[in-house]
Amino acid sequence: MVFLFIALPLVVAGILPLVGKISKKVLPDLLTNSVFIILLALVFFEGRGLIGQDVAVQQLSWLGEPINIRLMLDGFSLFMLFAVSLVGFAISLFSIDYMDHYGSKANFYALFLVMLAGMNGLLLVTDLFQIYIFLEVAAVASYALVAFGLGQDELEASFKYLMLSAVASAFLLAGIVIIFGVTGGLDFETVSQGLRALDARYLVGLCAAFFILGFGLKAALVPFHAWLPDAHPSAPAPISAALSGLLIKVSGVYALTRVFLNVFGLTPALSTVLMYLGVISMVVAALLALGQTDIKRMLAYSSISQVGYIVLGIGLGTPLGILGGLFHLFNHALAKSLLFLNSGSLQMATGTRNLDEMGGLGKRMPVTAGTTLIGSLAIAGVPPLNGFWSKLIIIVALIQAKHWAFALIAVLASVLTLWYYLLIQRKAFFGKPNEKWSAVREAPFWMTVSTVLLALLCIATGIFFAGTINSWIRPAADALVKGVQTMLGSLGF
Amino acid sequence: MIVEIALLCGLVLLSVAAVLFRDLLKAAICLAVASLLLGIIFFRMKAPYIGAFEISVVAGLITVLFITTIALTKTGGDVRESKAASWIFPLVFVVFLVLDFFVMRGLIGKIPSLEATPEHGTFGDVLWKLRTFDLVGQIGVIFAGVLAVLALFRKRDKDE
Repeated sequence: MVFLFIALPLVVAGILPLVGKISKKVLPDLLTNSVFIILLALVFFEGRGLIGQDVAVQQLSWLGEPINIRLMLDGFSLFMLFAVSLVGFAISLFSIDYMDHYGSKANFYALFLVMLAGMNGLLLVTDLFQIYIFLEVAAVASYALVAFGLGQDELEASFKYLMLSAVASAFLLAGIVIIFGVTGGLDFETVSQGLRALDARYLVGLCAAFFILGFGLKAALVPFHAWLPDAHPSAPAPISAALSGLLIKVSGVYALTRVFLNVFGLTPALSTVLMYLGVISMVVAALLALGQTDIKRMLAYSSISQVGYIVLGIGLGTPLGILGGLFHLFNHALAKSLLFLNSGSLQMATGTRNLDEMGGLGKRMPVTAGTTLIGSLAIAGVPPLNGFWSKLIIIVALIQAKHWAFALIAVLASVLTLWYYLLIQRKAFFGKPNEKWSAVREAPFWMTVSTVLLALLCIATGIFFAGTINSWIRPAADALVKGVQTMLGSLGF
Repeated sequence: MIVEIALLCGLVLLSVAAVLFRDLLKAAICLAVASLLLGIIFFRMKAPYIGAFEISVVAGLITVLFITTIALTKTGGDVRESKAASWIFPLVFVVFLVLDFFVMRGLIGKIPSLEATPEHGTFGDVLWKLRTFDLVGQIGVIFAGVLAVLALFRKRDKDE
């Protein structure tokens, strides 16, 4: 059943180009949205029961014979699958109306589903080399999706993204090769045991540095962030939302966390490096966001800054820190996707992404304005929205661990966040209605449905935060807190 | 030994050819054959894992993507090969042979062979029995590559 998370999107992606010949719009829309609904149902009704309290390992068989495909599902991967399916569903709803004017919708959906299969695969693998392969599946699809508009900017951004991503892959591969060389295996358990038994601190340190570089580039942590502010704004809005909301978290944060916490084991040195990277990203990207006039570029910088919070929380390594980091990951996925989708609505209505040219759009697009306000306040951490709770947990965890300076910086960066989100509100939605926008109307039906859904989720997660934490986040954090014990002896190799 | 030397010479020859050809299609095919030879060398040196990856990914997948892209973007008309190709090619090859001779003369018989690792097996064993899940990922990469080519070289619909 778990294999469906990878197989279903791949199979549908395979038939979509053919379906596109018969029906250009309706059938591709229907098929893609159904995939997300099925995956969401699987997470809800199968996944929870499957893992119970522990790790579920599924061995696939073909005609009664077991074959060498093992998938691992624990609290952490289930939580990520839930986030990916939920946000992915909202994005595919939004694409129904938004992608109409790009043409070749079936191809777009097919690429999107391949990217989804890559992300889901990455969340279920039990092996370092498989991490690399599924990372590439998602990455290759995302290069094409960034360039989907075929304009000069899109192609340039996609090329830059491709080049830096190739550098990341090379570092990851080098790290994996060294690990394979010293431990003689690739699966998490063998590597984890091998590293325990090994007395090669410098070699393992070198591998850790390679992984930090590789996954840091994928997660766009400062100073490895150069590709993101070009790539994310250039992509079509649903893809910007998928990249910022999901891809950097799955191929960056998830992979980094899984490898460092569950396979290597978090050492104090590693924890310090991760925390510093998180804090630098948080502050530098927030300052850079302040100076932007392109709304999507501002949101892209904000993504880097918020990933900084997530890495800071997880890097801290205490149970509360990890809990806060994961909760913030979920909240940021919801709110940032919402904001990127809304930036798409604005761009579609006005034809520009420049905040200085907008103004007074709140009266013309009340739903977009309202949902943007909710998303902005959620990310900035205004109570009672979801972002407030996750940031609060991270800051409390920092104070508990006596990292006073980091806690203070986290609070100040949050003020900066609120500042640039209020700038978006003021420049785009408030102020005098510009004559130029007198013909602007509210976004089409499905786009509005999708953004309202995400906004409601932001509010609901904030109000029922205890329920969300207990049902999804705590099992995920527990799997990480157990550290290497999650892998040792549980995979049955 | 002779087989190894022949394979290595072929590898160098084809790699140089891939760099020198201006016709992208020829260059892509040279690269594919070169990586096929490299894959065979890996197998002969008892490293079936890397051999399987080399052949399936570099010789297989990447060549398919190169050729598809070249086919879709070709503007027509023959490409004139560089004149340099006719003399640089043999020159590089001869220089390689000379260097190789001097380097290997001092080393042959002195390098202890590495202990064999547990990863024995034929190409089929490695690909189908040990690394089955990688195939699923590779199908994903191929899908992504083909769909990317379809999407990026699409013709705009008339109604756009």
